[in-house]
Amino acid sequence: MVSRALFLSVWLALCSVAGGASINGGAFAAAADDSAGTQALGQAAGFSHPEVAPGTCSTCHDGMTATGMSANHPATTASCDTCHSTASWIEQPLNNAPVWRAVRYGAEHSTQASGREAGVLIQSAGETWRQIRNGPITLYGGLVLILVPIAIGLFYQWKGPLQLHGQPTGRLVQRFSYWERLIHWSVAITFVVLAVTGILLLFGRSLLIPLIGHAAFAWFAQVAKNLHNLVGPLFIVSVACMFVMFVRDNVWHGIDWQWLKKAPQVLSGKAHVPSGKYNAAEKGWFWGGVAFLGLVVGISGLILDFPNFDQTRATMQIANIVHGVGALIFIAASLGHIYMGTIGTEGAYQAMRTGYVDETWAKEHHEIWFDEVKS
Amino acid sequence: MARMKFLCDAERCIECNACVTACKNEHEVPWGINRRRVVTINDGQVGAEKSMSVACMHCSDAPCMAVCPVDCFYKTEDGVVLHDKDLCIGCGYCFYACPFGAPQFPASNASTPDGRATDWFGARGKMDKCTFCAGGPEENGSEAEFSKYGRNRLSEGKLPLCAEMCSTKALLGGDGDILADIYRERVTVRGKGSEVWGWGTAYGKPEQQSDAGSAGKQTERSS
Repeated sequence: MVSRALFLSVWLALCSVAGGASINGGAFAAAADDSAGTQALGQAAGFSHPEVAPGTCSTCHDGMTATGMSANHPATTASCDTCHSTASWIEQPLNNAPVWRAVRYGAEHSTQASGREAGVLIQSAGETWRQIRNGPITLYGGLVLILVPIAIGLFYQWKGPLQLHGQPTGRLVQRFSYWERLIHWSVAITFVVLAVTGILLLFGRSLLIPLIGHAAFAWFAQVAKNLHNLVGPLFIVSVACMFVMFVRDNVWHGIDWQWLKKAPQVLSGKAHVPSGKYNAAEKGWFWGGVAFLGLVVGISGLILDFPNFDQTRATMQIANIVHGVGALIFIAASLGHIYMGTIGTEGAYQAMRTGYVDETWAKEHHEIWFDEVKS
Repeated sequence: MARMKFLCDAERCIECNACVTACKNEHEVPWGINRRRVVTINDGQVGAEKSMSVACMHCSDAPCMAVCPVDCFYKTEDGVVLHDKDLCIGCGYCFYACPFGAPQFPASNASTPDGRATDWFGARGKMDKCTFCAGGPEENGSEAEFSKYGRNRLSEGKLPLCAEMCSTKALLGGDGDILADIYRERVTVRGKGSEVWGWGTAYGKPEQQSDAGSAGKQTERSS
């Protein structure tokens, strides 16, 4: 920590030298010019400011040619250089307001306290994080988690499961190897654990505390937090293995476009478009779900799970938002996959459970793959 | 009841860190935990240097309280924001939300009150923060309360030690109305600096504050 304090003081000294040169005497320069100076008055590269006549800043800084007054700037008709210089707020004896305004931008100042961001007096972004998490993420996330199962339930009531047209032959063909099933169920089980514990941590306060009380819920939440943090990395490893193992069969082919065009008929069993080992919807789930959303929640999750690398609050606030949005979409989409893989399609669950499907099933669902296997 | 607030006067703070030391000593705060810290702006620039002692401000609309997944925060009738370490799961959300950097977590090289190490896997221990010297949910002045939250001075009729022993009386802690009176008098005498640092963020916009200086008793909403 001594070295850090030393570094800070050296850095501040350098800043004050640089700041002092560019403004008159540089009273409020130093750390403040990082925030107030550049944020309030982004500098035009290569433009020579010393030649500008006093009171004429707004001829360029009108919000069109160059950055003008921000939306939350206090209403004023005074010239810009009453309060600002090119590098900083102008020195105003007896007026501390500019200093405290600069502090609000979250600049790091000098302190003897150890710890990350100890020199930051106010970090306002947490308020935004709170509004987003307690607002849209909880509201829309909750709505999605209620509406998607309802939609799936209605679809099931309306259409029922996809059934085989022909009679099962009784001859079985292997669809998934032992390793493929092992990887699939590793991903599936870790995913469900993460989804349940994550939902508990986001919605438990409003849903479960009124039912079971603070003490009991805190126990569940403690278990949920630790499970979530420990299982998270296992999920990432499983997803990585799954990607490597499944990617070859998920490469997009021309036939998949045709499947996609006729998707409604195919899904209700009225039309047949032959597909390879995986059809277009399965490939969509692989690329959009496993690969893309897996990467999104994986990276944002690691940032939150391992706060050991001095990442700032701002980084973790953003990671938390990304993680929440990504995970909620992932969960909603997974409900579709789970439906199709269990009650939605006759024989699909047996395929991933035992590894084998009936030849009729293979021919009706994945004809190209079946032909390849047979040839 | 009085609405308890902190006020730090940047014109008086000399960065002696006595408030920090007093806090650590009074509450036997573990290593690595800073319930209070002093931050210096424009360090070393004559005339421009300002220091500020900052801890939990016990906000009116406390962000920590709003985001806690286990709802472990509560507000006393004095407006002091406290939390229950038995409920806290150490998720760190209060630390994301707090503008003042008040929530602290015993992590690497630290341990929970019962001695278990918490530094494995980067896991956070139970959150610790300034209690306005008002302890926690345990019985006032009990062993259990002291080991988790430190001394409960408020229950003994005393104000926070950091402010009580501030040598320049830069840091004030107590009834917000009285603090505002003291500060207004100072501002009148020295003729400058009417802004009270952090009050807008902690206690709302000036017109919503428990009316800086008015003698009328105004009860603070507790939610």
